[in-house]
Amino acid sequence: MDACLQVKNISKTFPGVKALSDVSIDFFPGEAHALVGENGAGKSTLIKIIASVYTATEGKVYLDGKECAFRSPREAIDAGISVIQQELSIAPDLTVAQNIFLGCEPRKGICLDYKRMEQDAQKVLDDMELNIDVKAYCRDLTAAEQQMVEIAKVVSKNSKVVILDEPTSSLSEKEIESLFVQVRRMKANGVAVIYVTHRMKELFEICDRVTIFRDGCKMKEMMIADTDEKEIVANMIGRSNLTDYYNRHEHPIGEEVFRVENFSKGSVFKNINFHLNKGEILGFYGLVGAGRTETMEAIFGAASHDSGKMYLHGEEIVFHKPSDAIRKKIGFVTEDRRRTGLLLEKPIYENVGLPSLPAHGKRGLVNTQWEKEVSKEYKEKLAIKAPDISTITANLSGGNQQKVILAKWLAANSEIMILDEPTRGIDVNAKSEFYALMYQFVENGGSIIMISSEMPEIIGISDRVYVMREGEISGELFSNELSEQALIFSASITSDS
Amino acid sequence: MKNFDIKKAISNNVIVVFLILLCLFFGVMNHNFFSSINIMNLLSQMCVNALLASGLSFAIILGGIDISVGSQMAVTGVVAALIASKIGSMNTITALLVLILTAIVIGCITGGIIGSLIAYGGLIPMICTLAFLTMLRGLAYIISGGGPIYGLDSNFGCLGARRLIVTESFPNGMIPTSVIFTVIIVCLMHFLLSKTIYGRHVFAVGSNKNVAHLAGIDVKKVTLIGHILCAVTASMAGVVTASKLQNGQPNIGEGYEMFAIASCVLGGTSLIGGRGSVARAMFGVAVIAVINNGMNLLNISAYWQKVVIGGIIIIAVLADTLQQKRASKN
Repeated sequence: MDACLQVKNISKTFPGVKALSDVSIDFFPGEAHALVGENGAGKSTLIKIIASVYTATEGKVYLDGKECAFRSPREAIDAGISVIQQELSIAPDLTVAQNIFLGCEPRKGICLDYKRMEQDAQKVLDDMELNIDVKAYCRDLTAAEQQMVEIAKVVSKNSKVVILDEPTSSLSEKEIESLFVQVRRMKANGVAVIYVTHRMKELFEICDRVTIFRDGCKMKEMMIADTDEKEIVANMIGRSNLTDYYNRHEHPIGEEVFRVENFSKGSVFKNINFHLNKGEILGFYGLVGAGRTETMEAIFGAASHDSGKMYLHGEEIVFHKPSDAIRKKIGFVTEDRRRTGLLLEKPIYENVGLPSLPAHGKRGLVNTQWEKEVSKEYKEKLAIKAPDISTITANLSGGNQQKVILAKWLAANSEIMILDEPTRGIDVNAKSEFYALMYQFVENGGSIIMISSEMPEIIGISDRVYVMREGEISGELFSNELSEQALIFSASITSDS
Repeated sequence: MKNFDIKKAISNNVIVVFLILLCLFFGVMNHNFFSSINIMNLLSQMCVNALLASGLSFAIILGGIDISVGSQMAVTGVVAALIASKIGSMNTITALLVLILTAIVIGCITGGIIGSLIAYGGLIPMICTLAFLTMLRGLAYIISGGGPIYGLDSNFGCLGARRLIVTESFPNGMIPTSVIFTVIIVCLMHFLLSKTIYGRHVFAVGSNKNVAHLAGIDVKKVTLIGHILCAVTASMAGVVTASKLQNGQPNIGEGYEMFAIASCVLGGTSLIGGRGSVARAMFGVAVIAVINNGMNLLNISAYWQKVVIGGIIIIAVLADTLQQKRASKN
């Protein structure tokens, strides 16, 4: 079998950084080829070179044996190389059919031929066995449906090479399954699929071959059938000893510090009862859409709720707005760093100081001295990799951005920290560092509520876990009872089974 | 290394360099440009736009806009004139009180309504203030009865038509009161934006409302106060103008919102919010004033001045965009 896409001796140098050095890979039709590696290992750079977003400093890309010299991503798409981005790139105010044919609309004279567009779109969706209305506006679709529309867009172009860049980061387990159905369909049709992911499980489920990147170099290429998770991770991080990955160790757990009773909000969440002990890492597991984030937002005062009570150190409390919760030393590290976590265009110190300005200011003035001192302190303690505290946070890597958000709440003297998917999209080493920081926090008397959809993480570091399903708490598991089966069982059984 | 720093300092302060070059250019072309009389003229011409831009900076950095500032000037101007005409004869202190209190009260009322509609009613700032642009202009004509309110006590001119420090070469006084008043207000606004917690909150809300909300900032209150500040400074520009004209005219300030927005943009204020500075906006104000003044001295028609200012705005924004792009690449 001949490779349909070949990259040969690709190097890419950015000012001051060598992002890729001498990478050669063959991609075969009908095969899903995984690219794995930590953030900054070079996978994204390679993808962007294949898609002609970047030009390689050295080396060449061949499509069907012919050298590609595309001048723009557009030409790459026309030649049959499509990318499905991590962040959905659907136009929300256009219909499904309009999105599928965006940029290559069928015409009748100078007018658009809407009728044919809708018929053709319907045919594509039918072939994919998808039940989506072609006339629906994309903003009314779920994230998963929108992704299906993106795939339909790629399928309609008869792409030879399809690049999926972390396609599952915003999908639930069930939605991931339907994505895989489409990936298998593409493979069966002879498409070369390039699959970038951080999730080991998916790799073994859908991919045939894997290439591991580290520091801009290709470390190893293996058939999935011949390897296992341990070997892959070991190659990614360059160390074989994985036992201290979660760095789990015993820590004292004290009396109850926080309790929530009968928290409800319409059909979003109902009858939430839980408590948190001092020094505990309390996991909240569930599928995407189980209402975990919404519950925590309501607890933090960032969203409303209908009924229910909260007790802090045995005293009843009410949070009308986030500043009430912050004053009671509760911090909230949100799921989406870019949308709700950081002021991206602002320097590190302005982000770190943000929630605590009123507490440290005098007569309404910003206490810049405190702000800079505390930022320096946490930059050091959390090992935030940045030239200095004036670095703009947009220029930091995901892991370091997450540390800045953590520093923000540590600087606010938080005693209870709510972490929503704290390690999403950050690389293995950064994850490991982040877990160590979490342990440090609870050992110093703090308590953590951690929402996570990653089972190994929940099992790896939680002292106790609540499982949520369809807005209700469906189970409470102690660390000795934690297993993937137990979690899946609690998270996904329906009420009538 | 030293060379590099100078280069950086220039590229960070393009507007300042541009202002200096402009002044040199006009100074060479017309020797009157650097005369003390012309410089005082220039400063007093800047006052109204400086007041408008100082408050508008808040609205723009919050991620919004207020295009009703010109009409705001007119309403406050005629109300102050109406009150003064009812009082009749008054001393300087009373006149000052009438002017400044009217500005504060009217500004708080209109800014409060505009700010509430935007912050709590969820209206889009552009549309909301567009409505107020016509509404307030209409009210200015209704209050004044369609024409100017004149016959006011001469002390009404204390804020706009008077000059302090009488010397031999300046029998009418050297420094206009309007300049002193403007400098005080602009310094206060700059201090408020750059040094206070409120100012920091303005930047936070302008760069990301969600992050600001979750950091415990009352986003709606910050937005409301920003619009009140904007309206109060616009009202102050209104009373300064009325005081200068020594009557209340309902047609003042027409189109001034454009000059104020342009000044902010020239000073590097981002129209999508989160970035800007009152002090830098003042350089924008100065550039526009110098172009107008210099072209007047060179006897170039007022119509061409508009064309030139428009062109300079395009160039400034383009340069800023390119610089941002370069910065994000590195």
